Amino acid sequence: MIGFLHPLLLWALPLAALPLVLHLVARRQPPTVLFPAVRYLQQATREHQRRLKLEHWLLLAVRTLLVLAVILAAAGPTVAREGLPGHAPTALVVVLDNSASSAAVAGGTSRLALLRGAARDVLAKATPDDALWLLTADGAARRGEVSRLISLVDSLSPSAARLDLGAALTTAQGVLEGESRPSEIVLLSDLQASALGDAELRTPLVVVRPEGDPPSNAGIASLDPGPQPWSPDGGSVRLTLSGEAGRVAPVSVSLGGRAPRQGLGTVGETLTLSLTSVAPGWRPVTARLDPDEFRLDDEFRSVIRVAPAAGVTWDPADRYLDAAALTLRQNGRVVDGREVTLGRLGAGASVVQPPAEASALGALNRALERRGVSWRYGDPVGLLQVSDSGPLVGREQVQRRYRLESVGGAPRGVLATVASQPWIARSGDIVLLGSRMEPDWTALPLSAGFVPLVDAMVNRLARGEEAVIPASPGAPVILPDLPTEARLDDRRWSVEGGAPFRPPALGTYFLLAGADTVGAIAVNVDPRESELAPATDAAIRGLWPDARIVAPAAARAASFAAGARGDLRGPLLWAALLLGLIEVALASGRRRKRV
Amino acid sequence: MTLASPPANRPDLLDPLEVSRLGGIEVTTAGLVEGFLSGLHRSRRRGFSVEFAEHRMYQSGDELRYVDWKLLGRNDRLYVKQFEEETNLRAMLVLDVSRSMGWTGAPDRLLPKHEYARRLAAALALVLLRQRDATGLLAFDEDVRATLPPKVSTAHWHRLLRMLAGLEAGRGTAAERALQRVVEQLRRRGLVIFISDLLLDRELVLRALKFLRHRGHQVLVLHVMDPGEVTLEGPAEARFEDPETAAAVILRPKDWAEVYRRTVEGVVSDWRLALRREGIRYHRLTTDLPFGLALREALVRPPGLA
Repeated sequence: MIGFLHPLLLWALPLAALPLVLHLVARRQPPTVLFPAVRYLQQATREHQRRLKLEHWLLLAVRTLLVLAVILAAAGPTVAREGLPGHAPTALVVVLDNSASSAAVAGGTSRLALLRGAARDVLAKATPDDALWLLTADGAARRGEVSRLISLVDSLSPSAARLDLGAALTTAQGVLEGESRPSEIVLLSDLQASALGDAELRTPLVVVRPEGDPPSNAGIASLDPGPQPWSPDGGSVRLTLSGEAGRVAPVSVSLGGRAPRQGLGTVGETLTLSLTSVAPGWRPVTARLDPDEFRLDDEFRSVIRVAPAAGVTWDPADRYLDAAALTLRQNGRVVDGREVTLGRLGAGASVVQPPAEASALGALNRALERRGVSWRYGDPVGLLQVSDSGPLVGREQVQRRYRLESVGGAPRGVLATVASQPWIARSGDIVLLGSRMEPDWTALPLSAGFVPLVDAMVNRLARGEEAVIPASPGAPVILPDLPTEARLDDRRWSVEGGAPFRPPALGTYFLLAGADTVGAIAVNVDPRESELAPATDAAIRGLWPDARIVAPAAARAASFAAGARGDLRGPLLWAALLLGLIEVALASGRRRKRV
Repeated sequence: MTLASPPANRPDLLDPLEVSRLGGIEVTTAGLVEGFLSGLHRSRRRGFSVEFAEHRMYQSGDELRYVDWKLLGRNDRLYVKQFEEETNLRAMLVLDVSRSMGWTGAPDRLLPKHEYARRLAAALALVLLRQRDATGLLAFDEDVRATLPPKVSTAHWHRLLRMLAGLEAGRGTAAERALQRVVEQLRRRGLVIFISDLLLDRELVLRALKFLRHRGHQVLVLHVMDPGEVTLEGPAEARFEDPETAAAVILRPKDWAEVYRRTVEGVVSDWRLALRREGIRYHRLTTDLPFGLALREALVRPPGLA
């Protein structure tokens, strides 16, 4: 079967008819010349007409074939030459999936070891005329000679990163764009069903997949410590497991070096474990499973901020806020102090509600502006409305409110809305409430969620919500505004607040602003890596229709199939050259006869 | 050794087209013959049907072929042989005036073949008449167009000229009937000069010429060709049409020039060989050949040829 590297150029094939067209155009009725010696002409042509006609048609055929050969050569024809040794110079991208799941061990051998062996076989088949790239889970395509790439393959270890196979193939296709050589992609992967992705491929694809079923696996998919900071009294974490559905596995969670708490988790269900009190500070928390055939997802890390109860001051005249604060004080969630002012704008962190008298609103807005708050109170709204349900506030009636207006730039820090308009917003350590916490403004003070809302506002929102950012290795995360440095054990990175940062390895990264810890990044294996179930051949062909799926042992034979398609450009160009010489010889021979 | 260059003002050596512009056929023919005979140094008795008469001293310009080499060996002196004319020769000029003879490949440079042939025939007749040979004329195309029996008189010369002047290129060509008529006209052994482009039925003509030879006549064939018939030229591609038969061939002259040249050479060679086998003299003349040279070709008999 003949294929073409640049099939669009085949549209130029009709140009091969050009010599014939010119011949036909030239065959117009010639002028008549009276010539008495026509009998001599007849005699001359009778003897030579056949030969000259043959030469004429031969020349026409040669010219047609010459144009044809040049056009076909430009289109880059290739032909299957299976069974023949060697291959034409080929551009080959080896996509070696060393994502976390490749560390899974089946039959005593890790998936990556199998894939590495197959990759070596493929690369060893290359010749110096081939262009080779190696693309791994870090997403980078490295070009190199055979020996260098084999050395890279040998040194490759399982990465904690996830590899989206669709994205990887798209990258490989991009690498091969513009290559004039026959190109090919060899994907060596455990082919997790969750890793498959769509890719627009214009290059032959060989998929090398390990034989046999993957090992049974359970991993920790998430570890949620809930709202932070925790009080020194402790709190609870919620765990979810991923992997083989219904599998039960013992889980232990340790916080800040304390004795771990044990539990029995089930894949697909949530496990809640209470952790006892710890000293204030940033405390690493680690959940572990018993080791199985896939170790990377048996441990999950996070960070819990433990802080003492906020010292709060409030005006007892604010009846409903006072009641909520007293309740919180009774439960140890707040203490008397001046760290947070509740109900009005204080010197430090404050939860501010609008003044009862509208005449005082202007002074409040000016004070907010002096504090650099990016919100201000606007016009009053007297409509009976309902707040939009959100993580902080549910659906509550709102009879009166002031519009909260953003000062300069896009509104940021909206915590709750009414009719899609900001109702509770935060700027720095100031939380603004659009309504007074009184029943003739809103039904919120009468609801069950009021006390937890006040707790969240004084302990988390006004004091600054500590950012614990979940991430995967190598995946970019956007940092909060404050940090200038990220630290993992003894390793440090200078960072810029608001900029992306790629944590390179598993672990807990603390974000520092000067000497203060202002957040953390918990880097764990992507939970999808725990799902080792492979994609079916049908699913693979559904996404990549022309993929050729082979076992590792057949990878060498299946690779360089594009190059095994013999490149016909060389022979065609030689043929064109030969035809050109024949054309010159025939044409000059005819000219000599004319002289 | 070459002949001395003749004077440039001799009309017999001028371009035939220029000669035709000098005047009517009578005037120009007389000039041609005078020039031609002066070029031959007016040997007293010269002609076709002649027998050896005497020697004379060699003069510059004499043809070497008439030098008596035996005498040179004995006496160490150069003599040329002179011949006595026969008085009872009857000559017949047979002139082809078919349509093909009316053609010229370069009207601005060359005479049509029949114009050239008429002047050549007139010159030949004058030479023969001056030698007191009875000379007649027969013109033909596809039939006999005109006949003038052989006679010897000045008035006959003028009749012959008038007849030549009235001949225009006619239609097809059929020489055999004309040659049969010649047999009727020449009852005694005589000389037949056949002037034609030979674009005719070769086998029939050869048979007729052989018959003439069989009757004891000397025969001279003057094959008149236009240079354009010798070298094929024309537009890049053309339809070449025979004016007589309307037969046509479409070809590119440049592609066929060489093949055509060889074919013409072959045709001429075939004629020459076939005629020589029958003891018939053959000369090919092209219409760019000065009349004097054409007459020399026609009238100077190679030694040893009967």
